[in-house]
Amino acid sequence: MLSFIVHRLLSTVVVMAIVAVCIFLLLHLSPGDPAAIIVGDNATQLQIDAVRKQLGLDDPLAVQFARWLVGILKGDLGVSIFSHEPVSKLIGQRIEPTVSLALTTLAFAVMIAISFGVLAAWKVGTWIDRLVMVLSVLSFSVPVFVVGYLLIYVFSIKLGWLPVQGYAPIVDGFATWIRHLILPSLALGLAYVALIARITRTAMLDALAEDYIRTARAKGVATGPVLMKHALKNAGVPILTVIGIGIALLIGGVVITETVFNIPGIGRLVVDAISQRDYPIIQGVTLIFSGVYVIVNLLVDLSYTLIDPRIRY
Amino acid sequence: MATSRRTFVKGTAASAAAVSAPGLLMAQTTPSDARTVRAVLHADLKIFDPIWTTANITGDHSLLIYDTLFGLDDARNVQPQMVDKWSISDDKKTYTFTLRDGLKFHDGQAVTSSDVVASVRRWAARDGAAQHLFKRVADTPIKDDNTFAIVLKEPYGLVLEALAKIETNLPVIMRKKDAETDPNQQVTTKIGSGPFRFNEDETKSGQRYVYDKFTGYVPRKEPPSGMAGGKIAKIDRVIIENMADEQTAVAALKAGEIDFYEIPPIDLLDQLEGDKNIKLDVLNKGGNVGMCRLNWLHPPFDKVEARQAMLYLIKQEDILKAVFGNPKYYRSCASLFACTGQMQSDVNTDWFKGGQNIAKARELFTKAGYDGRPVVILQATNIAFMNNASLLVAQWLKEAGVNAELAASDWGAVVTRRAVKKPVAEGGWNIFITWGSGEGFDNPIGFVAHTANGEAGWFGWPKDDLHEKLRDDWALASTLEERKAVARKLQENAWNYVPMVLLGQWAPPVARRANVSGFIPLPAHVPFWNVEKT
Repeated sequence: MLSFIVHRLLSTVVVMAIVAVCIFLLLHLSPGDPAAIIVGDNATQLQIDAVRKQLGLDDPLAVQFARWLVGILKGDLGVSIFSHEPVSKLIGQRIEPTVSLALTTLAFAVMIAISFGVLAAWKVGTWIDRLVMVLSVLSFSVPVFVVGYLLIYVFSIKLGWLPVQGYAPIVDGFATWIRHLILPSLALGLAYVALIARITRTAMLDALAEDYIRTARAKGVATGPVLMKHALKNAGVPILTVIGIGIALLIGGVVITETVFNIPGIGRLVVDAISQRDYPIIQGVTLIFSGVYVIVNLLVDLSYTLIDPRIRY
Repeated sequence: MATSRRTFVKGTAASAAAVSAPGLLMAQTTPSDARTVRAVLHADLKIFDPIWTTANITGDHSLLIYDTLFGLDDARNVQPQMVDKWSISDDKKTYTFTLRDGLKFHDGQAVTSSDVVASVRRWAARDGAAQHLFKRVADTPIKDDNTFAIVLKEPYGLVLEALAKIETNLPVIMRKKDAETDPNQQVTTKIGSGPFRFNEDETKSGQRYVYDKFTGYVPRKEPPSGMAGGKIAKIDRVIIENMADEQTAVAALKAGEIDFYEIPPIDLLDQLEGDKNIKLDVLNKGGNVGMCRLNWLHPPFDKVEARQAMLYLIKQEDILKAVFGNPKYYRSCASLFACTGQMQSDVNTDWFKGGQNIAKARELFTKAGYDGRPVVILQATNIAFMNNASLLVAQWLKEAGVNAELAASDWGAVVTRRAVKKPVAEGGWNIFITWGSGEGFDNPIGFVAHTANGEAGWFGWPKDDLHEKLRDDWALASTLEERKAVARKLQENAWNYVPMVLLGQWAPPVARRANVSGFIPLPAHVPFWNVEKT
């Protein structure tokens, strides 16, 4: 197990190195000039050139890459071209909202989705099963921002129960914190619920068709334990897998949700940085996200051993 | 020893006081919601140095924390702001200024002539209008802490107008140590002498920018008028929120989570108009003017006939309707200096009065020797005006027999490609679309798009020696009437050689909560002095 973990952690470094090269090249070879955006539309070419020189953007690509790489190896993600603030500080300021949104969405989605999936499998072929499947398709089909706007319209403007936008840190109080996350989590989580519910249903149906389930029923085990203790545990591996894959979707969806609900998270940070060609921010965030994604996959793989004792590394 | 009830109560009370103290203290120092205005402006504030960038959002930030020597009032007259009195020598070459008493920076330091001279010189290193002035400046001697002078090599009619400039780069006054920063490097401190001070602790980059009333500010006694008069902060705090989504910003305004929205989307104005808690006002009456920049360096627009063809090709009404919908907020305009300022006229605009004439455009393209090569339009798809205008211009060009091609990208890519001077086949361009403020258009010297000095000038690189001479004449004119006369000559000449083509003028409203009032109408910026919340 330990050698498996070490091997995977080492591969994280390799993945991040490849990502670093790819993202650097993609950014610098794409059209766009941060110096021109900085100085504004009314500036002259001379002013743009002066700013470009001052920012080191007219150095050869290899020099710029080396400069950035040396910084990374020292733990320095660089400084925003626009605001001159350290990228690590900007990420640090934004990490709590993104993690909060991701965790609340994950918690909501997993609880609802697994419940619905188990229910649909238990009542397979009935109207309950069909309703769950239809709702899943709808949830997956409607874009996050449409759901977001609808939720804002109903719960914020019409009913006035929840805020339209913004984020309150948890130090401001749990109730305030969660109030700001309810609607975004619902909007972001619906597609996730759909994905997990469908996989849960399928995996549960497979498990429920096994001999050991027939044996359990024959021995008089109640429906609850049959579903939750015997079937669900054995269906856990594919469900965990899709939860892990879904985290990638979550990270992508977080960008739109953060924009619609004005949550100052990492998603917004990187979208703003892309439109302005703030290279250090884009590079820094992409690098970190790639590392996070590899580690999440590692944790998902390790969690299999908790569910299925037959799996050993 | 058993604790008595009295001791227990005393201890509990003391504990409660100790735990509540920070909260009470915070309640005392954080302005209440009733004294705080939350505003969503047109962009995120990323750059704080108004000399380093021409971005209007930085100009908005500057108006909060900095002050200027002079300001333009409602009637566009120059009025003193930080200056108490000034005099002009008989030979009109020496301007002597004395600062008002009591001016202080936010760190408590007094504003002195050294700060002023350093700030003006740094501004002059970057700003077009200032550069035009400073070509004629011999010296800026400091007489004492409150008195300084600008000594000219020759008389120049726009000294005070330049110092009262409202377009970016704003001539703000910084501390000397900040103003001595290389003009090509950004000043990152935010210490000014304006009516508000920047609250670095409460600000979160990309999310919100917080400004608190500066109690040490000494406003002028005159009533506020434009950029002049008393800049009295009637609220304790201004929070500029960064809200990227327009629909969310509208919802937040309706729910009372924000108080002011600078550019509400046009298609949602009806919704806002129907809400009794929201008011719409047009603060920036000059608005913006769209322009189609033509690349003079390569065919077909290196020929005057092809450029003249564009005058007959464009139907401003269609572009404006496509983008803005409601004619309340836009107008067609053929004046080179926009249709809301002092320099406007209808000289040499018969091409406009006759309306769109595709046949005439086709004839002129033929006369120009157009050979069917692709004419590339840089289409910024992420900006509605630029995107829609590009589509219409491309369509009209095709109707006129021109092989128009759209090069779609985001604005960031457009600003890169428009700097390319090579032919189209090597990555160049023929047309790009942008806009400038109505206020900017009204100033032949200050507005970079009015230059016609060829490759040393602004993108498109028009070149006309008469135009440049007339610009100098305009700057040297000593009365408004003289300047208007020169402006007419500028326009007469311009619509003969055609530096660019105009796409119409628009002035959309701002949206505010009904209990927030006092916004002063200004071109290009939103000031927060005089704003009240009831």
